Amino acid sequence: MENSRRHFLKSTCALVAGVSVYPLSRDQANADTGIRINNLKYAMLHDETKCIGCNACVEACREVNHVPEGVTRLSIEQSGPYGKYPNQYYHFSRHSCQHCEDAPCVNVCPTGAAFIDKENGIVSVNADKCVGCQYCILACPYDVRFINPVTKAADKCDFCRETNLKQDKQPACVEACPTKALVFGNLKDPESELVMLLKANPTQRTKLDLGTRPKLFRITAKQGEIIL
Amino acid sequence: MNALHFDSLVWHWPIAIYLFLAGVSAGAMFFAVLLKHVCLKEQAYRSGFVQAACIVAAVSVLAGLGILVLDLTKPWDFWKILVFYNPTSVMSMGVLILLIYQVFMYAWIAVVFRKPIEEWCQPRFPIVCKITTMLAKYEAGITGLLIIFSVSLGAYTGFLLSAQPRFPMLNNPVLPLLFLASGLSSGAAASLLGGVLLKGSPNGQEVRFIHRVEIPLILGEIFLIFTFFMGLVLSGGQSKVAALNAIGEGFWGLIFWFGIMGLGLSAPLAMNLFMNATSKRKFSYVAGTACLSLLGVIMLRNFVLYTGQMVVS
Ligand code: SF4
Ligand code: SF4
Ligand code: SF4
Repeated sequence: MENSRRHFLKSTCALVAGVSVYPLSRDQANADTGIRINNLKYAMLHDETKCIGCNACVEACREVNHVPEGVTRLSIEQSGPYGKYPNQYYHFSRHSCQHCEDAPCVNVCPTGAAFIDKENGIVSVNADKCVGCQYCILACPYDVRFINPVTKAADKCDFCRETNLKQDKQPACVEACPTKALVFGNLKDPESELVMLLKANPTQRTKLDLGTRPKLFRITAKQGEIIL
Repeated sequence: MNALHFDSLVWHWPIAIYLFLAGVSAGAMFFAVLLKHVCLKEQAYRSGFVQAACIVAAVSVLAGLGILVLDLTKPWDFWKILVFYNPTSVMSMGVLILLIYQVFMYAWIAVVFRKPIEEWCQPRFPIVCKITTMLAKYEAGITGLLIIFSVSLGAYTGFLLSAQPRFPMLNNPVLPLLFLASGLSSGAAASLLGGVLLKGSPNGQEVRFIHRVEIPLILGEIFLIFTFFMGLVLSGGQSKVAALNAIGEGFWGLIFWFGIMGLGLSAPLAMNLFMNATSKRKFSYVAGTACLSLLGVIMLRNFVLYTGQMVVS
């Protein structure tokens, strides 16, 4: 009796441990096989040296994707001014979803409402499945998710997956940019403008140490200040 | 920075209360099982402390779930959490654990209170007696699984916060252990408080047993808190910034040093040692100590949740 109970406890513990670790390991293994199946993987580049901070991208996004007032899918963060008058300049950097390859928002979502489109690598939200637990907002290291006040679901940039992309157009922000500071394209297509630019320029992605493998690249402008 | 409202704050106090209630439930069930197996055996159902533990466990887990649901932006869609599962999501797995835990909790309660239940149901609903008899056959299995699931539930409350890369203070491997330990001690405290309120003797063997277990548990908690912050400081970078921000000056530093370390841990530890040494156990001592422990755990949950969200990696 004593023996069988101990055996039972041991095997249950092993089972519980196995069940809880298995999905995590499987997910890692899938991450790379997924890439080989198709040859579409969208990404974006923001050339901060070209950006003039006009916010046309923000307004275009709001219009095309019907983003309510008070929230936004992207913003242009301004810092500065740097330098001495009359040679002053500002820094602009794009703040929006990075479409992480290993996306924390997708990993934590209890219902699978936050998901990666396997066809093209876009991270998106299925508003119907979302219950509004805000776990994804907590988990996103780039602080780009918000609750849409109309749908009450989590929302964020989806590279215009539901709007412009369906009509074979470029994302709204890219179309609207007067200086061509935004470039959208397919990382799998070596001929694309995006890949050419990424190969020819030193680019940055933020918080790489978190292992999120983001797909928003930036060509940074000169620093203007020293931060240690 | 305002201590209660700041930009990076996503989850507010209702989540802390939810984590607290889930921990209390897991801890109360854990101690109810221990009390039955170590001290009371078949007489467990007569003990005010076991009764209190069962009531506390059942009520707090439901209240916790209720708070979780109300805190959603779409409370009416909560059933989707039960229908759609995501194996990589700690929240999804936690809800699963919570549900299975409740099944074993009710099964165990039915087995332990078999006698009164059968006496009451025999003339009215004989079918119930068949169920309890059947459950009683599997008592060992039910008890084992209940222990496993209550420990999982206690640890889950920590994993929920640690399973994300954004906040370095929360993304900490010690957090689940710390929340498990404090959840167990809050469960013990709630059972003691409920037990003396239900006219259990403050000098009964149950109280003596729980107090004996509580002393090493509190020492363990202090050690885990030390490891938690030591680990953060030694990791350097934003982890260090987060740790020093949390336990330094200001509102939350005060809560940590006076509320959690002082009232929530040191005071109950001293009271437990005193009561063990002198064998003086009065209603007021037992109830007061339990209240301090519970208060300490509520503060710990809020402290970790809020200060954890202050510094981004
Ligand atoms: S940036 Fe945030 S919202 Fe976008 S994919 Fe990464 S984790 Fe998800
Ligand atoms: S808020 Fe919605 S999308 Fe985000 S984790 Fe919760 S259910 Fe998923
Ligand atoms: S539209 Fe182009 S130039 Fe204007 S803010 Fe956006 S990225 Fe910068």
